[in-house]
Amino acid sequence: MSESLIDIAAPEATSPDDQFDQRRRPGIWTALRRGKGLAGLVLIGVVVALGLLAPVLAPHSATEQIPGANLVGPSGAHWFGTDEVNRDIFSRTLYGIRTDLIVVFLAVPIGAAIGIFVGLISSWWTFTDVVAQRVFDLVLAFPTLILAIALTAFVGPGLRTVFFVIVAVELPVFGRLTRTSVRSVREMPYVEAAHVVGAGSLWQLRRHVLPNSMEPLLVQLAVSMSVAVFIEGAMSFLGLGVRPPQPSLGSLIRDGVRNLYDAPFFAVGPLVIVVALVLSLLLVSQALAEARRA
Amino acid sequence: MGAYLLRRLPSALVVLAIASFGIFAMVRMVPGDPVSTLAGPDASPEARAAIRADLGLDQPLVTQYVTWLGQLFRGDFGTSYRIGGSVKDLVADGAVNTIVLTVTALLLAMAVALVCSVLAVVLDNRWVNATLSFGNTLAIALPTFVTGLVLILLFAVVFPVLPAGGTPPDGFLARPDLSVQYLLLPAVCLALGAGAALTRFLTESLRTELRQPYVTTARALGISRRRIVLTQALRNALPSAVTVLGIQFGTLLGGAVLVEAIFTWPGLGGLIEEAISGRDYPLVQVLLLLSVGVFVVIQLVTDVIHAWLDPRIRIGAQA
Amino acid sequence: MRRSHRPLSLRALALALVGLLVLSVLSACSSAVDEANGSSGSDSGPSDGGTLRIGSTSDIVPATIFTNSSDATNTLIGAVYDSLIDYPLDSLEPQPRLAKSWQVADDGLSITLQLRDDVTFHTGRDFTSKDVEFSVKTWADPTWTVQLQRTAAAITGFDTTDPHAITLKFDHKLSNIFDLLDMLPIIDSETFDDLKAGKTYVGTGPFEFESWTPSSKVVFKKNDDYWGEEPHLDGIQVNIVSDPQAQVSQLRSGQLDLVTGASNRDLETLGKDSKFAVSGFDGAVQQIYVGADLANPDLQDVRLRQAIAFAIDRQRIVDEVFRGKGTPINLPWPDYSPAHDAKANETYTYDPAKAKALVAELGSSPTIPLAYPAGNANYEAVAQIVQANLEAVGIKTELQPAEYSQFIKQLIGGTFGGLWILQHGYAHYTPSTLAVSAYPFNADKNASHFESSAYKEHADSAWNQDSGSSPEAVEDYKLLNKDLLDNLFLIEMALLHFQTAETKDVHDLGMSKRGELDLRSTYLSD
Repeated sequence: MSESLIDIAAPEATSPDDQFDQRRRPGIWTALRRGKGLAGLVLIGVVVALGLLAPVLAPHSATEQIPGANLVGPSGAHWFGTDEVNRDIFSRTLYGIRTDLIVVFLAVPIGAAIGIFVGLISSWWTFTDVVAQRVFDLVLAFPTLILAIALTAFVGPGLRTVFFVIVAVELPVFGRLTRTSVRSVREMPYVEAAHVVGAGSLWQLRRHVLPNSMEPLLVQLAVSMSVAVFIEGAMSFLGLGVRPPQPSLGSLIRDGVRNLYDAPFFAVGPLVIVVALVLSLLLVSQALAEARRA
Repeated sequence: MGAYLLRRLPSALVVLAIASFGIFAMVRMVPGDPVSTLAGPDASPEARAAIRADLGLDQPLVTQYVTWLGQLFRGDFGTSYRIGGSVKDLVADGAVNTIVLTVTALLLAMAVALVCSVLAVVLDNRWVNATLSFGNTLAIALPTFVTGLVLILLFAVVFPVLPAGGTPPDGFLARPDLSVQYLLLPAVCLALGAGAALTRFLTESLRTELRQPYVTTARALGISRRRIVLTQALRNALPSAVTVLGIQFGTLLGGAVLVEAIFTWPGLGGLIEEAISGRDYPLVQVLLLLSVGVFVVIQLVTDVIHAWLDPRIRIGAQA
Repeated sequence: MRRSHRPLSLRALALALVGLLVLSVLSACSSAVDEANGSSGSDSGPSDGGTLRIGSTSDIVPATIFTNSSDATNTLIGAVYDSLIDYPLDSLEPQPRLAKSWQVADDGLSITLQLRDDVTFHTGRDFTSKDVEFSVKTWADPTWTVQLQRTAAAITGFDTTDPHAITLKFDHKLSNIFDLLDMLPIIDSETFDDLKAGKTYVGTGPFEFESWTPSSKVVFKKNDDYWGEEPHLDGIQVNIVSDPQAQVSQLRSGQLDLVTGASNRDLETLGKDSKFAVSGFDGAVQQIYVGADLANPDLQDVRLRQAIAFAIDRQRIVDEVFRGKGTPINLPWPDYSPAHDAKANETYTYDPAKAKALVAELGSSPTIPLAYPAGNANYEAVAQIVQANLEAVGIKTELQPAEYSQFIKQLIGGTFGGLWILQHGYAHYTPSTLAVSAYPFNADKNASHFESSAYKEHADSAWNQDSGSSPEAVEDYKLLNKDLLDNLFLIEMALLHFQTAETKDVHDLGMSKRGELDLRSTYLSD
């Protein structure tokens, strides 16, 4: 799964025509208080709570190897069973959520922030704009997983690598989006007017461009966060993800897949959580996108 | 149109040129080298030196780059270190498999999107919409590696009706009926996300189209909603969907890496992974350059179609 | 919001019908799964015909075709080539193959072999003593990086006056000469350039190489003019399926007859399934070990290495990871090896208390990196168990999965700077082969930065014996064993046996000591 595939889920997000009517609508925030948006937020809340409360909820630590408990099935003592080196899968799943939360709520915002910054700065002058566009083109030219494989060859597998890949993938996405917003805002009559009266570039950026770009960026942020869960999962699945013994949802799914025939229960818990996380982020992004359009 | 294409071409070539240099440099900066991977843990220093000379890796980097570029211009993509064969043949073999898979997935996604979106708009029933929307979100939310495994477990292991992976033993054309069965699971797995995204897009476009004044007029004239959708609205909504399709094709090619790994489909994804882990420089370089090339071409085509659809862009580009 | 109250449209109905039609046509067509399951022959006893489809984890690599470095390569070498002699799986008694008989000279500096005169290459050319000379010289060429390159290079004289006999003259005594004769495939000199290019492989073996589609499959057909008993199989197809899990899926769905890369756990499950059989080949073995880089200041102290050797729960690793298909060891030798010493092999047993005491003597030490090849489920599990074992006695480690290419580079360069986990082979041959060939044990230069004139002297002395099993040689092995146990630069964990899983239709499967499938008498039933 890659970025542009989900981009389309919010087709209006990047359409410049949409930007002309930029009066504050009440919709975008209330959208999160009902229907899809609310469901998404609640689901995210539950997953985040499970992750944050892992030390309280988990009966074992993420790395404790319980003597004799080799790949036992679900039971009262081990709700999700145990893995091939005798660890409690339920506990590992809870701690694994934390790893994914880092990726979702740290790597994506960092990539987004850098991307927005680069997009804002570069789009103001023609020369930097062209250069930035080509660089973004180049990064986007590589399918995410190929980029991941190449980056892993540099720095070896690990959470750090997943982090780099996500930042590298999100940077151009947000850079481009910001650029689109900036260009369309600049062409609006009142901004041109401001320019004519001699308002400085920075003033224009702060006063007009940023506020008007907020909404599409927010939608994209939610989409990118769900993509980040995919990327972590896919990288771990290909053996490029976090290093053992640290758990992540993706690495738990891969371990489960390795034991598909003997222990089909293994991957179920982590799978449900991954789908819930992606689903909730998608719901939020859809709610936001629909509110903008309404 | 031709003039527009001509104007966009130089920048595409610049991207390719920069990419060729970037890729060449990057590939050589990666730690680990092809010689030690080839020679294995037990090779003597003399053995490694001999292999290094054999591969031309003892030459200065500039010489290596120029040699490579020269080869590229002559249409010679070099020889793979590990696999030994010509890179051109290897890439061609892999590309055929990947393209067959991707195109099948694309067609599948298109078919699903057409049926689902028209159904949603024509019926416009609350429950149908809710079901489609739910299925849609779920299809996007399910990671490829999950659907792939579930498909294999269901259709190849529990109910062994379809192959668990691989390509037809005698090629795609020898037995089309078998090829379909080999293609089905990986193509469905790959098409799921794209199909869902396309459905959403097309449904949205159709709805927008139905809000147009001419629809109200047509309805007032007594033409059925179904008829308007199938004759007029669909025709108007399709061009933009085609643009989306272009983007999707690139995305699908990327997604194929994972699907190929799950279904042991011998395509470009596995080739590039093997090439990178074996530090097979000639193969890695060509594959990465190819992926940039495909992206550049898709962008070019998308831009051209955009320009064709929207004259403002064409004129704007002249300024 | 308008709602359509019309009955389901005709067009939708038609569409559904077309869909149904396509489905029914599909199901009426022959199923790919059934086709894949089809095989010929019916009655009991060896029957002829059929193609054996093998799932292999890694593809052949023409540049390293002679290094036993991939399972597909092993199958290719075993199918296409003959060796001069064969070792049985569980002993070091040479048996005739292309050589009918042999005589080592009294001074131990040459060997004369009588060759079969009824052997032809797949191209139709007669096999002669010149081909033996060519093959030995090829192996002596360092570019091929074969394990026994040094042994092949120590053969400097060739007497090929008789086309059906050859005398090989050595630089010095070679106690492991039969290891070379067992491993060395006899290759065709005329098609050697094609071999280098990966285009064709011509030998004298039971199967002929037909085609290779990189990262997809390697195809062989029966050699109708094979000098030995004619093979039952019409052909072999090696499918490259890099994921072990996918191999098992394809075996279960009938696309493969035999897999070589299934995980131990899957093998255990398949063994319990009435449709499948699991074959174990006890003589062809690998050893899994923890290597210690003495360049790390903490690991320089032998007491820390001893603590590690006492801390590792080898039995648990064998039971839980390798599902009982292995033996805990301290020394690499299998029990039929002349160097095997049952008592010495139990020097370091699982004893966390002793390990803790040793660690306490040393005081606290910083975290030690523990590297292993990434992406392999067995290594990953073993590494995590070792990490937990060491942590329990107060040794902190950090796991460092490394991509294979980088891992090998670190091994060669000796840049681990800590501990690493890997497998090695060659301990089931003449013991001297290990110390002069296998890189981790190499007395001249190894990844552990272990230097000892005594160890080097003992390794060379064992190599220079008349015979690999003479009493003098056994004395040398005792010294070598002591070197290995006292210095612990490699901490052996377990001896592992080769296993394959196949459908019940596959019969009379064999394996050579080299770890190559021996398919000369294999047949398929229905």
